[in-house]
Amino acid sequence: MIYSVFGYYSLIIGLIIGLSLFYFSYKNFNNSSILDTKILSFTFLQFFFVVISFLCLIFSFVVSDFSNETVFNNSHTTKPLFYKISGTWGNHEGSLLLWLLVLTLFVLLFLVRTKNQPVKYKILTLVFQQIIIVGFFLFLILTSNPFNYIFPIPTEGLGLNPILQDPALAIHPPILYLGYVGSSIIFSSVLAATSLKIISTNWAVHIKKWILISWIFLTLGILLGSIWAYYELGWGGFWFWDPVENVSLMPWLALTTLLHCILVLEKKSILTSWVIILSIATFTLSMCGTFLVRSGILNSVHTFANDPERGLFILIFLFILIFLSILIFFFFHKDNYRKSYNFFWLSKETSILINNWFMMYFLSVVLIGTVYPIFLDVISSQKISVGPPFYHKLMIPFLIPFLIMMAIGPKLKWIKSQLEDKIYLISFLIISILLAYLILKNFNQNILINTILISSALYLFFITLRDFFVKKYKNISQNIAHFGFSLLILSILFNNIFASEIITNLKVGETFENSKTKIVFESVDQKKEKNYNAIIANFSISNLNGEEDIFSPELRIYNQPVIATSEADIKTTLMSDKFIVINLVQNQDFFNVRYQVKPFMLWIWLSVILISFGGIVSFLQKRS
Amino acid sequence: MKILRFVLVIFLLFSLGNLNAKESNKLNEITKNLRCLICQGQSVYDSDSEFANSIKIIIDKKLDDGLSEDEIYEYFKKKYGEWILYDPALNKNTYILWLLPLLIFLFGGAIIFKKLIKK
Repeated sequence: MIYSVFGYYSLIIGLIIGLSLFYFSYKNFNNSSILDTKILSFTFLQFFFVVISFLCLIFSFVVSDFSNETVFNNSHTTKPLFYKISGTWGNHEGSLLLWLLVLTLFVLLFLVRTKNQPVKYKILTLVFQQIIIVGFFLFLILTSNPFNYIFPIPTEGLGLNPILQDPALAIHPPILYLGYVGSSIIFSSVLAATSLKIISTNWAVHIKKWILISWIFLTLGILLGSIWAYYELGWGGFWFWDPVENVSLMPWLALTTLLHCILVLEKKSILTSWVIILSIATFTLSMCGTFLVRSGILNSVHTFANDPERGLFILIFLFILIFLSILIFFFFHKDNYRKSYNFFWLSKETSILINNWFMMYFLSVVLIGTVYPIFLDVISSQKISVGPPFYHKLMIPFLIPFLIMMAIGPKLKWIKSQLEDKIYLISFLIISILLAYLILKNFNQNILINTILISSALYLFFITLRDFFVKKYKNISQNIAHFGFSLLILSILFNNIFASEIITNLKVGETFENSKTKIVFESVDQKKEKNYNAIIANFSISNLNGEEDIFSPELRIYNQPVIATSEADIKTTLMSDKFIVINLVQNQDFFNVRYQVKPFMLWIWLSVILISFGGIVSFLQKRS
Repeated sequence: MKILRFVLVIFLLFSLGNLNAKESNKLNEITKNLRCLICQGQSVYDSDSEFANSIKIIIDKKLDDGLSEDEIYEYFKKKYGEWILYDPALNKNTYILWLLPLLIFLFGGAIIFKKLIKK
């Protein structure tokens, strides 16, 4: 009760502070050359009140205050404390409040941490950020208030969707949002810098840190979501080209492109228009993501709020932001670098341009694949599905030159360069092709495309690996990230090609045996937990070498709401994952058993961590 | 350097020797390309719903009858509409879907090429 009141009024106060900040900014902008302390303290206060509001919502969840509609819809007294807390952002209203929290946090950090930049630039960035913040305050208060009353007060809540009751998913949204919303500060400062015409190498150095922060969190956020999907959705895949996954991948692709593009701007003061467009695109794509997920027009496992009114609000807000940024771009931005910069074929600039070219292509594939079915449905009411085969067909062939460019590009110098170590580059290519052929020659499926693909990934792998041992080579962060990427592609390919699977139906006591694997269904147990009841099936599985593992996958029946889920049992080792999941077949006394051996599974996660580690190293590096 | 490379090659070859070959399974291939119509964004392969299970049984029968992969897709398309296929065919509805990304790629390439030859 009391928490809801505090939470709600904190939001109102936050909104009022946001509006008053426009006024202070206007006054300060014209009159003073130093940043008004009022602006700083008001920004802090706004952040403070959003924190209060957020804490109030958390407390409402912790004490199970069912007079609050959000708590009633998404919580239950029997849930463990951890999931009561994570339930705070496992729903529409709470997750938007988290958006707002991150928005205000970032603008505060930006004001505090930005030094050596003009005051006008700081103020203008704040103003643009406040437009977004005020928009979200209004959205929250008008259409999705997390502190709505219910009367009479229910005695029990409806519970949290069981697939969301999971440790990885509890931290997935906050991390992902730090990435998503982090791009807002890039958006705001790009608009500010464009208006003031201060886009330069100096500015690029300053904004690169913010791009990196956003990029690191976005990468890790996507990773966590993927790990969760792998063990929780219960069918052993880790990426489904599901619309909601695509929606998180699109800003990542745009942000990665921007990260490479800013490297050129940092050195050369060229490609300014392109940097502006990419920054705007990244944030717009994050917002589009929010719109697509919240409006419920996507058919996806992740959709958990459908309300056309909310979708409409975000859509209008999005159009205002896009309109504003186009306006600023065309009115203020003049390409001052008319001296017509010459690009040479063999130079770092060109290689980064080529990177941008491919990344934009990948982005367009994902964007069109996600949006086109909706579009077609609206104009001709014909429903089509766009799934993994579409993305694979359009992306994989382009991945091959992309990987080779990733290996060679970083070796080139600025302006004009010659390829050094040609012998190394060519001999590595030959080794990679031979090795790929050796690995694949016993598997007669798609041998040609797989050999080419694996050899290009191996090529990147060897080249980057060698560079770790070459002393004169300086750009360690780039090398780590590229090495991680080669490892990622290799792990995904091997994981796909060498996976094996057994699907069978078994009763208790029965045994399944083929030439390589023996599965014994030993027994069934029952377990009662606070928030679910479970049936535990015990299997012992042995392979050719006589290694035996005991597996206990579960079928859980959650009590609030009543939903049955399958919990996979996974044995992870360095080289492969063993994955077993069971399902009840209706009106039958046997279980449907699915057992998979998935090589290099761990390496997929490790390589993504390595990629973001490259980002972290770059973030910590002092500029020489 | 050379030793390291050698060790790596050996290591890779050995680790791969232990892996199992995948038995080519047509049923899996086909079910991965079909949408489970009653689920939220899952393929028939990934789902254990009754709908998905009945589809799997139908495919099994069709395969026994000697139908090809394409004939099976055609059968499901007739019965449930294009919505069930994850791999949309190229026709007048999907020209934009398939060709627009490629056009964008060519367009981007043209811009870069122009920048490069400009002296």
